[in-house]
Amino acid sequence: MKKSIYKLLFFTLVVSTVGCNKRLDVTPAQSIDQADALKTSADVQVALVGSYTQLGALNFYGGRMFVMSELLADHNELIWSGTFQQLTQMYNKAVPVNSTFVSNTWLAGYTAINTANNVLSAIGVVDAANKNKYEGEAKFLRAAAYFELVKLYAKDWSNGNPANNDGVPLVLTPTREITEADKVPRAKVSAVYTQIIADLVDAEAKLPSANGFFATKNAAAALLARVYLQKRDYANARDAANRVITSNRYTLAGTYAEAFPYNGGNPFGNTSEDIFAMQVTTNSGVNDFQTFFSADGRGDITIANEHLSLYEANDERLDMFYVSGGSVYNGKNDNVYGNVHTIRLAEMYLIRAEANFRLVTVVGATPLSDINRIRNRAGLGSKLTLTLDEILLERKLELAFEGFNLSDIKRLGIVTGYFTGGGGLAATSTKLVLPIPERERRVNPNLTQNDGY
Amino acid sequence: MRKLLGLTLSFLLLVSQMWAQTKEVSGKVTDAKDGSPLVGATIKVKGSSRATTTATDGSFKISFTGNSAILQVSSVGFEQKEIAVTGGEISVSLEVSTTSLNEVFVVGYGTKIKRDITGSVTKVGAKELNNTPVTSFESALQGRAAGVQITQQNGKLGQGINIRIRGSASVSAGNEPLYVVDGIPLITTNLSSNGAQTNPLTDINTNDIESIEILKDASAAAIYGSRASNGVVLITTKRGKAGKSKIEFGYMTGLQTPTNKMEFMNAQEYVEYTRLAAAAAKRIDPSFDYVAFNEGRLQRYSAGNTDYQTYKVNTDWQEEAFQRAPISQYDLNFSGGNDRTTFYMGGQFLDQTGIIVRNSFKRYNGRINVDQKLNSWLNVGMNMSFARSQNNRVSNDNAFSTPLQIVALSPITPLIDPRTGLTSGALDLATGRPNTNFPVYYNPILSVENAKYTTLTNRTLGNFYGNVTIAKGLVFRSEFGIDQLNQNEESYNGKLTARNLGVPSGAGFNSTDQILNYNTNNFLRYFNTFNEKHDVDVVAGMSFQEYKLTSNSASGEQFPSDAFKKIASAASKTDAQSSETQFAFLSYFARANYKFNDRYLLALSGRYDGSSRFGANNRYGFFPAASVGWILSEENFMQSIKWVSFLKLKASYGLTGNAEIGNFASRGLFSGDAGYGAIPGTRPTQLANPNLKWETTASTDIGIETGLFNNRLVIEADVYLRNTKDLLLSVEVPGTSGFASQIQNKGKLENKGIEFTITSENFVTKNFKWSTSVNFGLNRNKITDLAGQELGTGQNRAREGQPLGVFVAREFAGADPATGDAIYYVNTLKADGTRDRTTTNDYNAAEEVVIGNPNPKFIYGMRNTLSYKGLDLEVLLQGVYGNNLYYGGGQYMSASGSNGYDNQTRDQLNSWKKAGDITNVPEARLFLANGVDPSSRYIADGSFLRVKSVTLGYNLPQSITSKIKIERARVYFRAQNLFTFTKYGGWDPEVNADYQVSNINQGVDFYSAPQIKAIVFGINIGL
Repeated sequence: MKKSIYKLLFFTLVVSTVGCNKRLDVTPAQSIDQADALKTSADVQVALVGSYTQLGALNFYGGRMFVMSELLADHNELIWSGTFQQLTQMYNKAVPVNSTFVSNTWLAGYTAINTANNVLSAIGVVDAANKNKYEGEAKFLRAAAYFELVKLYAKDWSNGNPANNDGVPLVLTPTREITEADKVPRAKVSAVYTQIIADLVDAEAKLPSANGFFATKNAAAALLARVYLQKRDYANARDAANRVITSNRYTLAGTYAEAFPYNGGNPFGNTSEDIFAMQVTTNSGVNDFQTFFSADGRGDITIANEHLSLYEANDERLDMFYVSGGSVYNGKNDNVYGNVHTIRLAEMYLIRAEANFRLVTVVGATPLSDINRIRNRAGLGSKLTLTLDEILLERKLELAFEGFNLSDIKRLGIVTGYFTGGGGLAATSTKLVLPIPERERRVNPNLTQNDGY
Repeated sequence: MRKLLGLTLSFLLLVSQMWAQTKEVSGKVTDAKDGSPLVGATIKVKGSSRATTTATDGSFKISFTGNSAILQVSSVGFEQKEIAVTGGEISVSLEVSTTSLNEVFVVGYGTKIKRDITGSVTKVGAKELNNTPVTSFESALQGRAAGVQITQQNGKLGQGINIRIRGSASVSAGNEPLYVVDGIPLITTNLSSNGAQTNPLTDINTNDIESIEILKDASAAAIYGSRASNGVVLITTKRGKAGKSKIEFGYMTGLQTPTNKMEFMNAQEYVEYTRLAAAAAKRIDPSFDYVAFNEGRLQRYSAGNTDYQTYKVNTDWQEEAFQRAPISQYDLNFSGGNDRTTFYMGGQFLDQTGIIVRNSFKRYNGRINVDQKLNSWLNVGMNMSFARSQNNRVSNDNAFSTPLQIVALSPITPLIDPRTGLTSGALDLATGRPNTNFPVYYNPILSVENAKYTTLTNRTLGNFYGNVTIAKGLVFRSEFGIDQLNQNEESYNGKLTARNLGVPSGAGFNSTDQILNYNTNNFLRYFNTFNEKHDVDVVAGMSFQEYKLTSNSASGEQFPSDAFKKIASAASKTDAQSSETQFAFLSYFARANYKFNDRYLLALSGRYDGSSRFGANNRYGFFPAASVGWILSEENFMQSIKWVSFLKLKASYGLTGNAEIGNFASRGLFSGDAGYGAIPGTRPTQLANPNLKWETTASTDIGIETGLFNNRLVIEADVYLRNTKDLLLSVEVPGTSGFASQIQNKGKLENKGIEFTITSENFVTKNFKWSTSVNFGLNRNKITDLAGQELGTGQNRAREGQPLGVFVAREFAGADPATGDAIYYVNTLKADGTRDRTTTNDYNAAEEVVIGNPNPKFIYGMRNTLSYKGLDLEVLLQGVYGNNLYYGGGQYMSASGSNGYDNQTRDQLNSWKKAGDITNVPEARLFLANGVDPSSRYIADGSFLRVKSVTLGYNLPQSITSKIKIERARVYFRAQNLFTFTKYGGWDPEVNADYQVSNINQGVDFYSAPQIKAIVFGINIGL
């Protein structure tokens, strides 16, 4: 009896021990090992899709970054009454170095960049039919992220010498482990622009003209136009914008309101004038403009009369504003699942018009006809003559509260509130540049801080 | 393992027994109090290994060698007695123990007499825990165990509770102890979906608990290896006793209220104050007409009329967050058995309404514990319990819809909007939809009326064991247990909550989680006494645990009307998820206790732990511990010191681990959750670290236990040092890598402290008894190495050279007497090492410094029990001293009106008004944030002393109970959290904002519901 008990005990112990040891090899169910993530062309394709998701994160192209810049650039056209301290600080032009919004946007940008770098690192395994396309898309996404980062966290191209001013760190390879080499110092502003332009030129060359809602040849050209405009390279800006317009792939929506469709709280695809838009569905993507601007969201940002009085009386763009409970809201992003309209065709006409006007050229069309095209769509009559300020005002109104204000003020060298009577901060004010996040400087002593912080 | 087993067996075979002439003695053991027989009392022949236990009628029979012997008669909870016998029949009556030296303590994989324990273990028994009017048993432990800090996050029912045993041992891994119920490690996974933790331990019926043992030092805990660094809480449930069957019925009912309310401005104060703030803002920024703007806003918040000018409406919104909160609990249990079978069956129903609106909790528990002696060598038993709870919950502390955020609403806003006759905020006549900017914020009452969040939990906890007596003193025990938890969370937010929700036509959410956690323990125990002087007790075995969580959830929007609440009716199914995660532990453990001559104690223990969580290069860890004890009072030289009845010195050293990290923290991962526009996508989510392993804590404990004056005064004291290294640290990495952090084994921290418990029998007479027990725990926590980084969000930080979670911010210097600006000390470090104490009104120009510490300097408890005839009184005080709180809601509600239209606490009336004013409240300036950024303005002293529990009970005399044919009857009044003494100006100093609580984030108050004060009446009847 007892002997058999011993035998049973030993048997149980040995069997359970051997059996259990194997059970320590547990693998995750929702993730895969990074070594297995980029082995085939299909693997690279899904990682590329993931790069779009990262770019469209809440704190980046999902919109918060743009909301932050609008609050920072505003002088008297917006009324902020929200409770997010970090946004109150933007509105008050008193951004502390430890602002979590400042560090979150930085992180979101580099997270998108790292994902794109992962795609580019594995481009060798992509089948020939897709290789150029994937490479072009990844470079487009990386360039978009760097462009936003260098605009927010560094002096503008026009502010001093971009070859001497610190930009943002340039990281062009994926990070798989952390070493001292990852404490990357800031590249100069000009070096960052050089990288952005190189990526976009390559992307424009390699991308197809049609690519669903993903980046296309024209999206790359359109972003390139924006980048050249920011560095006051008007000829290149004009030509890039002209390439997009003359591709004839996009048309202005019939009415201004149709460019910002409201679909009863349901997702809506791109409009005919979206050259590139971040896709928002009920399952992915986010539109943070809606959160802060819409009365259906938090409604923290309302519009002041100073802004509304800039429009001509019968401007249909005024219809985008609505009154709720005594306050005026901007209705461009009332749809909680509306796409984030990142690049619209209207912007290309405005870039071409401004660049042609400044260079006194008529590439593609006269500035007057481009501006009138925008005006007519807004239900306004054609102008017969044009001044630069009129072009800039048209640009401001057409692109109002879409995230352009801050970079335009810096590019144009005007004070905040220029169009509403002035009296704001100078374009070169250090308050209009975000600080390098304190968190980043703590872990990377090679990062310099911006002036004024 | 096999080697060890073999050794043990051969050791056994070598033992030979010598037999001599024997005599026999028989008798009966009774309870001195009422003469009832004592079942299971131990009778031991002193100086030999012979022992027996009494049968159901208290009788025993034992033989001894030689002509006479001394019998040691003992029973749990009774004083041991020694009786000289020469044979024949005797009767022994035992007195109820006034000291705990002979108490049996449950330790890992076995039990020990307190007297022989060399580690640090605290026991809290059923008597102290039972009938506490709380949702979860940890609350009943508050103030009762030295060095154990228990903090309820807030006064919401069934919400998170944080326990720290001898301080925090980890920065990024878990800091909660391991919970083991009857040998099964418990599931403690928080499955809440609303951003605030729930407490999975709520599923345990406090009245089912026989005892809770808290293993505090390495010697006690190392047998739980890689999960023991934060201490181990062993919960033992009640079992039946042979003898007369018992029926017990319990009922308690009462009312609960908040421990405290705050003071806010009334309508007149509010209107006058905002006008003051608007005028000041206009003075500073003339470009905007704040004064006119302010009148417009006041009119808006006054439901669009001018009532605010006459203060006609004066709403006390705080009152609307609270509700009448009854609590009732019903218990019924049966127990009993004979010499072969014993059983305990219990059931409970708890029906508790929360003090804040929308909050209530219902729980049904059942348990059956059965033990069966099958034959001379085999005992088997089974425990089975179920719990079903329904928790109607409110939003987390950071949500506009959480009831307490209602205090932000203006007192000039009426409860009912006169324009619509509906709750303010429900309808904007202009749009036909809920208002978007009236009241000033979303009105949480709309959620009370139109939203629901229910957490339903079903839990089965059970185990089966077999005890095989292989030979005398050699027992094999095998246990198999499961802990199965199914949880469903369902919420529906109706159309009127649109302003809070951001979606216009209702939103539904439903999630289901299933956890299966099973565990098996298989171990041998060998115990024997050699040559009357060598006591040996060895345990060795293995354990395997596997845990698997599967979850799924769905959400939908666009409901036809609020009559349809299930996602089936949602026109848009917005999200669906399913996921799975698991871990496994394979462990081998052993412990050897050796006692020489009843006075020299040695204990060695160790565990070899493997876990699926650790990196491929470090899968197994070894955690040994050793301890020694010396019972001086047994020594001859102590015999003359009559007033010292007992004296023991003990010391221990050992290593324990912490494995509470993510299940797959060592791997470099890509996740598949990066779909875009309905096209699948992946993204990198984690950097690899194949060397990742457990944290190791090396603990040293030196203690003394003494009983003086015939054990009337018992003192236990310990000093300890716990050094943790290889911290499982979430190490910040440069964001340019695309990652924010990585888990690495980096850094060190230490906890050191002293603990003592003093128990005194102040009066012991026949009719009047009074005893006092004081416990005290002092812990100093310090991070000694954090690899040069600083962790933490918000104000709490993990910083080198500081205790975990210190508050770091600018140091507030009050209002500038000349300008009313908020000013801060510059605090930059000067060349001579001192800080620049000049002040500035530029927030960014001031340096962040440590402004407070959320860890208490010490914690204490004091329990007085008095009894006079049938009356008994227990008064328990609980205290926390020397910690700071960060009053995070202050930036909105105590912000001198400079952050918008939040109603303000009345202390803000004392704001700066004219040059020369000396005050700590800067000038009120509408929207021009004046001193609302994080700073020491919002640091407060969190010390408190609470009258935790007062119980006055009366046991009906037998003369009455016998007449109504019942055995026992007791009625009592009990008050929980009766009084709180504190300097803290917020709701309650026991607080930890639930949406952000973590190891580092401690002691932050953010619209957190105050704790619950309960006053109940109860009755217990025994048949």
